[in-house]
Amino acid sequence: MMRTKDMIARGIATCALGLALLPGPAPARPPAASTACTELAHGADLYRAACAMCHGAHLDGNFQTPALTGRFVANWAGAPVSALEAYVHRAMPLMAPGTLSPDDTRAIVAFLLEANNLPQGKTVRVGVRKALACPS
Amino acid sequence: MDTGRILSRRGVFAGGAALGAVTMMAGERVLLPHAASAGDALAPQHRPRLAPLHPREDQITDIKVCIRPFRAAGPRLDVERIGDKTIFHNYGHGGSGWSLSWGSANLVVGKVAATLNRRVAVIGCGIVGLTAALTAQRAGFDVTIYTRDLLPHTRSVRANGSWTPDSRIALTQTAGPAFADQWEQMARFSWATYRTYLGLPGAPIMFEDNYILSDKPFDDRPAPVPPAGAPGRMPRATEDFATYESRIRDIIPAVEDIPEAENPFAAPHARRHSLMIYNFGAYGHLLLSEFHQAGGRIVIREFHSPQDLTALPEKVIINCPGYAARDWWRDDSLIPVRGQTAWLPPRPEAPYGLDYRGAALLSKTDGVMIQAVDLDGLGEMTGVGNSFEHPDPTEAARAIGVFADLFARMPMVGG
Ligand SMILES: Cc1cc2nc3c(=O)[nH]c(=O)nc-3n(C[C@H](O)[C@H](O)[C@H](O)COP(=O)(O)OP(=O)(O)OC[C@H]3O[C@@H](n4cnc5c(N)ncnc54)[C@H](O)[C@@H]3O)c2cc1C
Repeated sequence: MMRTKDMIARGIATCALGLALLPGPAPARPPAASTACTELAHGADLYRAACAMCHGAHLDGNFQTPALTGRFVANWAGAPVSALEAYVHRAMPLMAPGTLSPDDTRAIVAFLLEANNLPQGKTVRVGVRKALACPS
Repeated sequence: MDTGRILSRRGVFAGGAALGAVTMMAGERVLLPHAASAGDALAPQHRPRLAPLHPREDQITDIKVCIRPFRAAGPRLDVERIGDKTIFHNYGHGGSGWSLSWGSANLVVGKVAATLNRRVAVIGCGIVGLTAALTAQRAGFDVTIYTRDLLPHTRSVRANGSWTPDSRIALTQTAGPAFADQWEQMARFSWATYRTYLGLPGAPIMFEDNYILSDKPFDDRPAPVPPAGAPGRMPRATEDFATYESRIRDIIPAVEDIPEAENPFAAPHARRHSLMIYNFGAYGHLLLSEFHQAGGRIVIREFHSPQDLTALPEKVIINCPGYAARDWWRDDSLIPVRGQTAWLPPRPEAPYGLDYRGAALLSKTDGVMIQAVDLDGLGEMTGVGNSFEHPDPTEAARAIGVFADLFARMPMVGG
């Protein structure tokens, strides 16, 4: 379990980048968040293993590779989360597209939403206040 | 490969003191033929000179990685309907996208013109999208480009940037003879359009002498026959790839053998040809300005599914997403072919190119480009099926090493 805690800590550290830009105190943690937290932690772990090499440890991308913050949010705003999952599954990681299992894909997308301080759900909703999913 | 005209002795290399391979002229080192004679010393000073390049890994300014959008049947140029939109596809130009861009645009815009619409949307602003947009403007259309990225951020600017119109453009058998004719039409049209960008300030397009060096005599035997059976979508060997260059021999400067006595390089066999190159910075900015000056509009937008196009106001759409068609149009006929270039600071005093031991070097206005074309003897199969779009510093170092070693072996005089 130590590993999971460590991963959550690192995941939250990544989110902190985005959170720092947003005003107001973090809302209280919702109940029964533990399954979601495990998925997020798994997503963070997968992100580091499969995505960070190109998109960067802080999702910041580079000249060649798009950031997974900022414009990424605008690109997917209002889209069904399932469409984002389908895209990630179909196209990523670029060197081995289609190799992420459906569960792993969901976990990575959950992590990306969390990292951008977006609520989990069926639609990519921007500008909605959300509860912090997991303990820091 | 063409052989042919033998160079005139006075034609190529610098004159000057016949002391060895390199001499000082106006404070700079210049390569001379191994066996420069007293006769050369008397030759007029205006003959072209070659300054040596000493590329080093610690001079790298950038490593760029790109995926060639390869399709066995050649680029996708068919027409499809989505809702009330007519989509003209223009993607999958393999290792020839720059070279064929204008010709491909010409074919597509010709078809678009027959629809009688005056407004056209172009998806993508890589070299294929941008030239399609300009061609449409020149044909009188009102053009909007919808794209995720502008040219400087596209895969296109991670290319080598020279005239390579049949580089991994198709598989001979899969594409068939009709594509060969279409290729010729595209190549001729592109070449002619590129020529209109020669001689401009900033040298967006220019010619450069490219030297092909070899440790062994050049092998001019015809290419071996491809493996038996049809390759389908996936190349199996170098011989599966189409080569069409002989069809346009009448307009492309031939490759010339350089006699041993006039070869300044520390490689026993040398050839030279005049190669057209594209300087990405100058050319890219010029094309984008031309598009804006002609009233073109650019909308930054990312599409997720073909259905997204139904929301566009234009009824006619030219689709130029390059390799991204694989996930955006779900087209798995696109095969990734990875390639990487390393960039070193510009060396305008050494404007030439080299091909040696599977590596290529081009001295361009925006830097010295060094590419590992085929370091491991895999021929055209190098990078096939590889979509790892991340820099490999070891590959860059190996390619630079080929030329560092070449120049280190050259006898030097004069400082
Ligand atoms: C190492 C290397 C060397 C090469 N050297 C040469 C050479 O010397 N000569 C030559 O002729 N060719 C060369 N090529 C090949 C050439 O680079 C390609 O054929 C060419 O870049 C393809 O251009 P494109 O415009 O089709 O694609 P891209 O440059 O990939 O452009 C695609 C455009 O579509 C946009 N787009 C994609 N998906 C979406 C979406 N979902 N929504 C909105 N917009 C989207 C992108 O943002 C981009 O603007 C080389 C390739 C490599 C890898």
